[in-house]
Amino acid sequence: MNRFFAPLAAAALAAALWAAPAAAMLTVTAETDRDTVEISENLYLTVTVAGDSASVPEPKLPNLQSFNIYSAGRSQSISIINGKITTSVSFTYILTPRFIGAQAIPPITVSNGKETAMTSELRVTVTKAAQPPAQRLNTRPQPARQQQRAAQQAAKTAANKGEQIFLKAETDRKSAYPGEQINISVRFYTSVPLSSNPQYVPPSFKNLISEDLPPVRTGETDVGGVRYAYSEIKAALFALAPGPAEIRPATVVAQVPAQDAIDPFDPNFFQKFMAMSGAQGQSREFTTEKISLDIKPLPAGAPAGFSGAVGNYTVTASADRPEARAGEAVNFSITVAGSGNLKTVIAPKFPDLPDFKVFDTMSSLDVRKDNDLITGKKVFTYILVPRSEGRKTVPPVKFSYFDPKAGQYRELQTEPVTLNVEKGGQGAKTVNFNPSNAAAPVTASGADIRYVAEKSGGDPLPLLAAAVLGLPWWVHTAPLALLTLSFWLARFNRFKLANPLLFRFRRARSEAFRDIETAERLIKEGKTNEAVSELYDSFMNYLSDKCGVKVSALTIRKAAELVKARFPAATPRSLDEMRELWEALELRHFSPESAGSEGASDLAKKYSLLVELMEKELK
Amino acid sequence: MRNLFLALLLSLPGGAAAYDRGELVEFNDLYRGGHYEEALEGYMQVIAKEPSGQWGHYNAGNALYRLNRMGPAVYHYARAFTLDPRSGDIRANLDFAMRQTGQSLVPEGAPAALHYVYYILSEAELKALAAILFWLACLAGAAYFLLDGSKWSPAAGRASALAGLLLVLALAWAGARQSSVFSTAGVVTRAGGTRMLSGPGENFKTYASAPEGRIVKILDTGDEAYYEIGLPKEGIKGWALKTDVERI
Repeated sequence: MNRFFAPLAAAALAAALWAAPAAAMLTVTAETDRDTVEISENLYLTVTVAGDSASVPEPKLPNLQSFNIYSAGRSQSISIINGKITTSVSFTYILTPRFIGAQAIPPITVSNGKETAMTSELRVTVTKAAQPPAQRLNTRPQPARQQQRAAQQAAKTAANKGEQIFLKAETDRKSAYPGEQINISVRFYTSVPLSSNPQYVPPSFKNLISEDLPPVRTGETDVGGVRYAYSEIKAALFALAPGPAEIRPATVVAQVPAQDAIDPFDPNFFQKFMAMSGAQGQSREFTTEKISLDIKPLPAGAPAGFSGAVGNYTVTASADRPEARAGEAVNFSITVAGSGNLKTVIAPKFPDLPDFKVFDTMSSLDVRKDNDLITGKKVFTYILVPRSEGRKTVPPVKFSYFDPKAGQYRELQTEPVTLNVEKGGQGAKTVNFNPSNAAAPVTASGADIRYVAEKSGGDPLPLLAAAVLGLPWWVHTAPLALLTLSFWLARFNRFKLANPLLFRFRRARSEAFRDIETAERLIKEGKTNEAVSELYDSFMNYLSDKCGVKVSALTIRKAAELVKARFPAATPRSLDEMRELWEALELRHFSPESAGSEGASDLAKKYSLLVELMEKELK
Repeated sequence: MRNLFLALLLSLPGGAAAYDRGELVEFNDLYRGGHYEEALEGYMQVIAKEPSGQWGHYNAGNALYRLNRMGPAVYHYARAFTLDPRSGDIRANLDFAMRQTGQSLVPEGAPAALHYVYYILSEAELKALAAILFWLACLAGAAYFLLDGSKWSPAAGRASALAGLLLVLALAWAGARQSSVFSTAGVVTRAGGTRMLSGPGENFKTYASAPEGRIVKILDTGDEAYYEIGLPKEGIKGWALKTDVERI
C-alpha cells in the first residue's frame, strides 16, 4: 500500500511546499496617484516589485495605447530579518494621457525566469482640460511665466516676418550655476495644416545634461494677429561645469503644402486643382537658433562635506526599527529630498561607527517633474550590524549643498538615531550583504532537448503496474468471490445465532443417531448402564429439540400433550411408542440393576425406530 | 495472495533486463557521433523488444528530433510520457518538442505543480492502483465479515471503507484523465501535416489541415483507412489517413 501511495503523497507534499512559498516569493503591485486626470496633466504610475533576493526584475510594461510613458526613477527598500532578504523596488512612471474617456492600464507582468507575477488592471478616467492652456500658464511658477513671455515675444517676431510655420527655442534663463535647473522650451508653430506628423530632432548640448519634462503641450495661440497651432517640448538642463554652455539647434522636419499658385487661366487648371487635394506637399526643415548660456562658478567657501549638490534640499535619517539583536542586520536610510538634479547627488559621508559593521550602500531615486520642476528624493541605504548589545547611537550625518537662489552654501545634519541592541540569539545571523560582489547571474543563451538516456529497462512501478494488469481476469475476481463468500457466511452465522431452536430442531435427528451409535458401542463394551443413560439423555434432548422446550422437567403425559399440540400430525401410535420408550428408559435409567445387555440393545433399536417414525410426523 | 505479490515482485528484474545493455551503449554512441539514423534504428529495435519501456521511446524521440522529424519525435516523447510521466527528462523533451510545434505540455494558466501531480501516475499505473485498491477493499471486507464479533472486525471494516473510498477517488481520477490530452490521442507524424477531410475518403472535401507534430484526439477508429480526429483547441474535427496519424 505504502509503495503506491508514498510517491503520490510525497509529490503532493512537495508540490504544496513548493507552490506555497512560490506564491509569496515574487509579487508586483501597481497604483496610480489618482483615478481621474485631465488630458493636459500627468499621472504617476508606481509599480512595486517585491522579492526575496537582493535584486528583483524590472516590470514589463504593456503596450499602453492611451498614454505616453516616461520613466521617473526607482526607489528600493531592503529588509533583512534573521538573514532573510526581502527587496522591494518601486518603479515610477509618468503617464501623459492621449485620449479622453475611461482608459485602462492592462496588467503589468514581472518575471524572474522562475516565477511570473501580475498586477490587476487599473482604470483611469481622463477628462477634458478644466482651463485653457493659455490661462493655466498663469498658475505656473515665475520662471515658467518668464519663459512663456519670452517665447511669445520670439514667436511674435517670427510671425511679424510673415512665416506660416516656424520653430523657436527659449530658455528661462541665460545664466546659471552648475547643477542649477535651466528649462528650455522648443515650440513649433504652424498656421497651416500639415500633410503629416512632423519629426522632431532634439538639440545637442555642450556642457549641459538634459532631463525630459513631459508631456508634449499642444494648443492654439494668437501671435501678431495670426492664429497658430503649436506643439511645445520642454526639457530641464543642468550645467556640468563653470564656463560657456551651448544649446545647439533643434530641428523639425515637416511635410508642408506646396505654395505654388495655380493660374486660373492655365489650360491645365482643373488637373492641377484636383491634384492639390492629394498632394503630399514638400518636406521642409525648421531649426532653432543656437543658444549660448553663461555658467557661473560656485562661490568660494564651500563646507568641507560639500560634494557638488546644487538645489534646495532637506535630509533625514531613520532606521527600519528601533530595536535589534547583536549581529542582526538593520536598514539605516538617509533621505535627501528637494529640488535639483538628484541624479548627481552622492551619498553623504557616513561617520565612523565602532559599534556597527557597516556594509555597502545603495541608493534609490524617486523623481517628480510637477510644474516643470525636477524634485524628488534620493535614499541611501546602509546595512548596519550591531557588534554588541546595549544602547547604540548613529551620530548625525552631515550634508551640504549650494542654494542657487540664495547664492550661498547650506549645511544640514540629520538627527541622531538610537538603537536598543539586545543580546544576539540563535535567530540573529550575520548577513554579508554586498550586491556589487554578488555572483554573476546565470544567463540562458539557448535551449535544447536533453540528452539520450543511458538507462535500460523500466522503473519498478511501471513494471509492477504492467504485471498487475497482465494477470488473468479471474485473479481480479477472486477477492470479490472471497468477499461474497464471507458475507454469506457471516449472514448465515448471524441467522443461526438468532434462531437456535430452528437449528436444534433440524439437528435433532442426526444427534439422536449419533447418540444411538455411542450407546451401541457402550453396550458392546459391556457398559450397559452408561448406554441406557446415554439413550435416556439423548431421547430427552431429542424431544426438547423438537418441541423447543426442556421436556425432562415434564411428566410423560404433559410431554405427550405438548408434542400433540405442537405437531398435530403426530399419530396416536407414535405417541404411544414415545410413552413406552420413555417409561422403559426411565425405569432402566433409574434402576440399572434391572437392565440387561439385551434390554439395552432393544431400547436402542426401539429408540432408533421411534426417531425415524417421529421424523416423518413431527414437521 | 501473499505468494501472488511475491511472484509479481520476483518477476520485475526479468522485465528490467529485457534487452542487452551493451546494445544501448552502442546506439547511444551512434547518437553521440551524430549518426542519428543508425541510432534511431537501434532504438527502434529496443522498442520492438520492450514496447512498454519508456527509455526506448525517449531515445528514439531524441534521434528523430535531431533528424528534424518533429511529428514522430513528439509521438515517441508522448509515448514515453504516458509510460513514465514522472521523468523530468521525458517531460522536458516532450515540452520542448511540443513548443517547437506550437503546443505546450502544461496548459497556459495551469500551475506546473498541479499538472505534475495530475500526471504523476501513468494510466497503466492508475489502473493497477485501482485494481490493488479493489483487492484491498475486498480482502479487508472479507476479513470484516469473517471476524464478525471479534475486536479486529471494526478495524477491518474501516480499512475496507478506506480502500473503497480511495478506489472511488482513483476511478474518478482515471475517469478525468480520459479527457486529458494524451488519452485516446494521436500525433500527426506525416511530414508537412495531414489533411482533414469531411469524411473518410478522397471524395470528401479537405477543409482543414493539422500540422506535423500536433497532438490530436482520435474520435473514431472504425474506418479501415481513416481516423476521425479532433482538434479541441480549434474546435474542429475531420478525417485523416491512419498512415498520417500515430496513436499514442
